[in-house]
Amino acid sequence: MLFFVLDLLTLGAINAIMAVGLNLQYGQAGILNFTYYTFIAIGAYIAAVTTLGKPTLTGGVEQYVLQWRLPWPLALLLAGAVAGVLGLVVVLIVIRRLRSDYLAIVTVSIGFIIWNVITNYIPLFNGSNGLFAVPYILNGATVTPIEYTLEVLVVSVVVLAACLWVARSIFRSPYGRVLRAIREDDVVAASFGKSTTGSRVWVFVIGCIMAGLAGAMLVFYISAWNPAGFLPQESFILMAAIVIGGPGNYWGAVLGTFIFIELLSEIERFLPNVGNGAAVGAGRAILIGILLIAVVRFRPDGLIPERWLRWYKTKGPLPSGPASGDPPHLVTGRRGPHRLWGWALSRGKS
Amino acid sequence: MNLLAEAVGFGLVTAAVIALAAVGLSLQVSVTNFVNFAYGDFMTFGAYITYSANVAGLNFFPAVLVGAAGTGLLGVVSNWVIFRPLVKRKSRTLVLLICTVGLSFIVQNAMVLIWGTNSDRYTVSIGNALHIGPFLFTPGDLILIAVAFGLLALLHIFLQYTRFGTALRATSNNSDLAQACGIDTGRVITWTWAISGLFCAVAGVGLALETNTLRPALGFNELFVIFGAIILGGIGRVYGAMLGALIIGILTEVSGMFADPAYKGAIAFAVVVLVLLIRPQGLLPSRGRSA
Repeated sequence: MLFFVLDLLTLGAINAIMAVGLNLQYGQAGILNFTYYTFIAIGAYIAAVTTLGKPTLTGGVEQYVLQWRLPWPLALLLAGAVAGVLGLVVVLIVIRRLRSDYLAIVTVSIGFIIWNVITNYIPLFNGSNGLFAVPYILNGATVTPIEYTLEVLVVSVVVLAACLWVARSIFRSPYGRVLRAIREDDVVAASFGKSTTGSRVWVFVIGCIMAGLAGAMLVFYISAWNPAGFLPQESFILMAAIVIGGPGNYWGAVLGTFIFIELLSEIERFLPNVGNGAAVGAGRAILIGILLIAVVRFRPDGLIPERWLRWYKTKGPLPSGPASGDPPHLVTGRRGPHRLWGWALSRGKS
Repeated sequence: MNLLAEAVGFGLVTAAVIALAAVGLSLQVSVTNFVNFAYGDFMTFGAYITYSANVAGLNFFPAVLVGAAGTGLLGVVSNWVIFRPLVKRKSRTLVLLICTVGLSFIVQNAMVLIWGTNSDRYTVSIGNALHIGPFLFTPGDLILIAVAFGLLALLHIFLQYTRFGTALRATSNNSDLAQACGIDTGRVITWTWAISGLFCAVAGVGLALETNTLRPALGFNELFVIFGAIILGGIGRVYGAMLGALIIGILTEVSGMFADPAYKGAIAFAVVVLVLLIRPQGLLPSRGRSA
């Protein structure tokens, strides 16, 4: 039971890192990245091949690059960095002149290319067999599974805290406000002299770095990784969890992933297998689909709505600047571009 | 040379399937202005309905009609239940897109529940390969290509020469203006979902025949190839989608000759991405809207 709870918490913390990164991209900047899981996978692969030594199976059965035997903190950072660089390449391809929904499709295509190459080009990451026996971090090789889970949990929570701190700083900074302005209406944001492309590029990269870190923590914990782990559906489910939990609010995003990825898959374990073997998983996916549509339909801001709505109420209308004399309807009422004009005006250039 | 011709022939068959699917999706996108991620699952749904109708004793071609009707109905119902209320509320495109992902979860996994994950097969097969000139086709391939040509020609006539086709084009061009001119855009959208479902079901049956498997994930895996075709042709451009499908279909098969066939999907996508870098609006750009 203790192990079960610890396992749940550890996977929850790792999923929360993913949620924070994806939420930066979707919730803050409105970039629909349907291949987010690819960056998690890249982080996992890089962390694995930089900590692994020579393949244990000889005769070319097991092949992968690097084999650096790095200490794990270095591998963790490297995983984040490589995922970030890949994110930069991807975002530079898609962001420039594509409308947001077409951008989403193209991210899926790019994810497919990466998946296809990793699966078929065996010398890179051992193809479809994937990597296994990734070294445990800390003193993981010598302790019991429960103790190891606890150790990974502590490290994951530290990484999560760092990511949350970055996300919160971005959320509160002028940069975060520019991102939200772009999300609501990029033409308005551009007309205030904000660089819509540049702003979104960097938030995308930061989100991908977090994905890489989460992937590295995941592979340190489960110690194996293969292409079956990052099919397009994984990204879709993660996206669904964010939307249900509340995009724009990182607590909502964390809650969403925890409930809809963790708890649902854990509950699955206790359900009897009825019908054909895949019935339970299918039922879960149908439930996620229905919830997703219901939330979008009846509670469009997610279970925990974006925080600045409350912020306004407690701190009153716009603090200072040219828009502070604007009539109150600018700061009350539903979320929309007109509110952000006031917002952007009050803050001026960042 | 002979091999190249054969590859082009296979490409034509692939293109026929992709073209049917891409035109259906493109039609829907041009009118509703959002991309449907559940479209691949609609294809599978059409293929499964056809399968069940066939198993229940109907001949194959009437069964395809039943599948097409069923898929059209699925499209119309999805529109009524999910998308119309959201469009009325002026939800953002991204929100609608996410809803289609939810719909994809529901449809795909409902099929898992109903038909199971095992691979099924139609009782009819595409027959044995025949040499026709330099090409290598089976009778089924030829029928499929003929059906694709026939349906696309019908759609062309429908769009260009009927009142309803004109209304559809007007709605796709500017829905507010069309409404102001007295066109019942709600009805146009409903029928567009139905027509799109019809094309999609026929494409699904074709895909299941060509790959000789029928699994719940069949259409979902093909979805991104179809997206490639419609992106290549310029999103929402029906004729562009045909062109895009032809290019993707032939490219996929021909690239299999020069590189490891395992990469052929990736090569097709890489070309799409390259085209986007040079021409973000696609080969045949849409006029005015969307850029």
